[in-house]
Amino acid sequence: MRGAPSPPAAPSTEGERTPVNNGKPTLARQEAPESRPAVDVADVVCQFGRIRALDGVSLRVMPGTVVGVVGPNGAGKTTLIDVICGLVRPARGTVHVLGEDVAGDTRALRARIGVLPQETALYDEVTAWQNLRFAAALYGVAHPDARIAEVLQLVGLSGRARDVVRGFSGGMQRRLAIARALLHNPPLLILDEPTVGVDVEARHQIWAHIRSLRAGGRTVVLTTNYLDEAEALCDRVAILRAGKLVAEDTPAALGARTGRCLELECWEEGATELSAALRTHPGVLRAEIVDFGLRVYLGVDTTPEDVVRAARLVCAVEGFRTRSPDLVEVFRSLTADGTEP
Amino acid sequence: MSAWRLFRSSAGLEAAHLLGNRGFVALTALAAVSFLAMVSLFGLTGSYAPVALIDRDGGPLARRFIEALDGAHHSFALTYLSEEAAEAALGSGRLVGIITIPAGFSDAVAKGTTVPVDVRIDNVNVDLTNDMQRALPAAIVAFARQLQFPGTAVQMVEHDVWPRDTGYIPYLTVSALALDAMVIAGILGAMATAREWERRTVKLLRLSPASPAIVLAGKLSVAATVAAMALALALLVIEVGYGVVPIARWTTAFALLACVAIFTSVGAWLGALLKRTLAAVPLLFGLAMPFYVDSGALEPTRFDGDAIWALAHLSPVYYAVGVLEWAFHGLHVTPEPIWVDLLVLVVIAVVAVILTLGRLAKGATR
Repeated sequence: MRGAPSPPAAPSTEGERTPVNNGKPTLARQEAPESRPAVDVADVVCQFGRIRALDGVSLRVMPGTVVGVVGPNGAGKTTLIDVICGLVRPARGTVHVLGEDVAGDTRALRARIGVLPQETALYDEVTAWQNLRFAAALYGVAHPDARIAEVLQLVGLSGRARDVVRGFSGGMQRRLAIARALLHNPPLLILDEPTVGVDVEARHQIWAHIRSLRAGGRTVVLTTNYLDEAEALCDRVAILRAGKLVAEDTPAALGARTGRCLELECWEEGATELSAALRTHPGVLRAEIVDFGLRVYLGVDTTPEDVVRAARLVCAVEGFRTRSPDLVEVFRSLTADGTEP
Repeated sequence: MSAWRLFRSSAGLEAAHLLGNRGFVALTALAAVSFLAMVSLFGLTGSYAPVALIDRDGGPLARRFIEALDGAHHSFALTYLSEEAAEAALGSGRLVGIITIPAGFSDAVAKGTTVPVDVRIDNVNVDLTNDMQRALPAAIVAFARQLQFPGTAVQMVEHDVWPRDTGYIPYLTVSALALDAMVIAGILGAMATAREWERRTVKLLRLSPASPAIVLAGKLSVAATVAAMALALALLVIEVGYGVVPIARWTTAFALLACVAIFTSVGAWLGALLKRTLAAVPLLFGLAMPFYVDSGALEPTRFDGDAIWALAHLSPVYYAVGVLEWAFHGLHVTPEPIWVDLLVLVVIAVVAVILTLGRLAKGATR
């Protein structure tokens, strides 16, 4: 996967490309087919009227990995998915999926991609079985009845096969849509916000399905608003903001990039004073008052002890602890205005 | 990939949707018959415009004049009424006019004296006024000819262009089938495509490797079948209820099916263009009546002036009326040959299908 946010210039030929991943060389296209990226988005720009939905986005997804695209509403996640699926033609840049350029005739390619659209796109007035029968016909699935029974069992909907979809809960509809995406056994799955609008139990069921997909060696690209979801499921996470890829790495590496999180215990009055003082301290990215005192986000090169010493000069600090930041904190530190997705 | 399996599957989905909306399908069939009734009212109201006849003479020549009046070409119903009843009915708007044959009519006619026949007309509708103004002189000429009065040497010798007369109601009912085809097949076609955007399932179609043409064919085949069933019901009402029978049954059936297929395609394009059933249905209803009236539905448009006739060429209903009147009654109501009418309809359908496929394959998914 190529590093972000500084993608290399679009290559003139495929063989010339030597992408960089956090300073480390990554696999070039001429390597063995199994090492070739399943998805290769290079310097893509998408413009809708005056809105630039994607602005020079580059992303590589290696086979067998789960990659999450995270960002607030309007960040460009669905546009990126549409570009990868060939539904939207970029104004600039190239997109290769499973080795094929999506700018060409993608009919054969489409048979190798399973997509869960954000809106599920189910025929709600017919049964789950009828939905899958139609999808099987669309993808030319051999022995459709057996395969439908198999995927329904996989998502735990075997008992509801003959029920009309209109009566399904949001979570069941999502699971049915995942079953449909799996029906033709595609090597690449694209899931656009797979758990949006579902309850906690259904969310965890869907997570379990996605984990089983990864265990089965499939490549999964998913978008999500939920950072905990990305952290729980993804090998790598790409953070989009206002159409730009602001970071892309493993969740752990993104956390390391952000630096540590220091929690200082003090009285409320002291926390206010301390917050004002530490905001100007070198290496402090951000400070926020919390119920136990103050939470301080540190730069990568800042040691917590220095900050604790500085804090004790301002007010009485009763205790402190450091920990790795979670993805929410990473996101806040990587986006200028701290907007949460 | 089996095209046939995809076609069946797509048709099955559409059928399941329509079966789930039986009320809508029943109302659609009812609409086909109600349109028929609506256009029939145009003819029925004129045919039975009531006119009172007051015979103050009662003599044999008065009776023969009344017979001539009855036989003259007009679209009103003569009814014997007393003077008081006739005046009251005219005053309350229940009569179009009163014809009064004066006392001494028979004697005066026998003596060769000119007799004034008093006619009072409620000229609120100039068409009915004109009708009476035409009918009375015609009756007087026929009456004089029967009595061999001098001075009526000129006589009309009729040579019909068509082997049989076609009444106004039979003409209207057939053109109503074109209106039915446009509205019913158009709406069902529009629903079949617009719902793909409403449910966002168009994205599913675009993401799949399947040919959108086969999916569309499956959906439209069901929409067209339901529309054809509704039109078959309307045709049954025309034959059994109105007693109007086509001169060539198979040709009529073929022409009707062709119209259904064509308007289903046009509806599908409108549905794909507007992406909302709620937008497509009012548009189809809104277009239906202007297209219908300016299509030779009430009479051949070529007699309505060049501008109206030229405008009529924009309406697919114009060509459909031309084809259906020819198939049903053997009439040529458009100056263009029937094959041209049919060809234009086929071209409209093909263009509509191509545009619809373009929308399904490449248009916006929202």
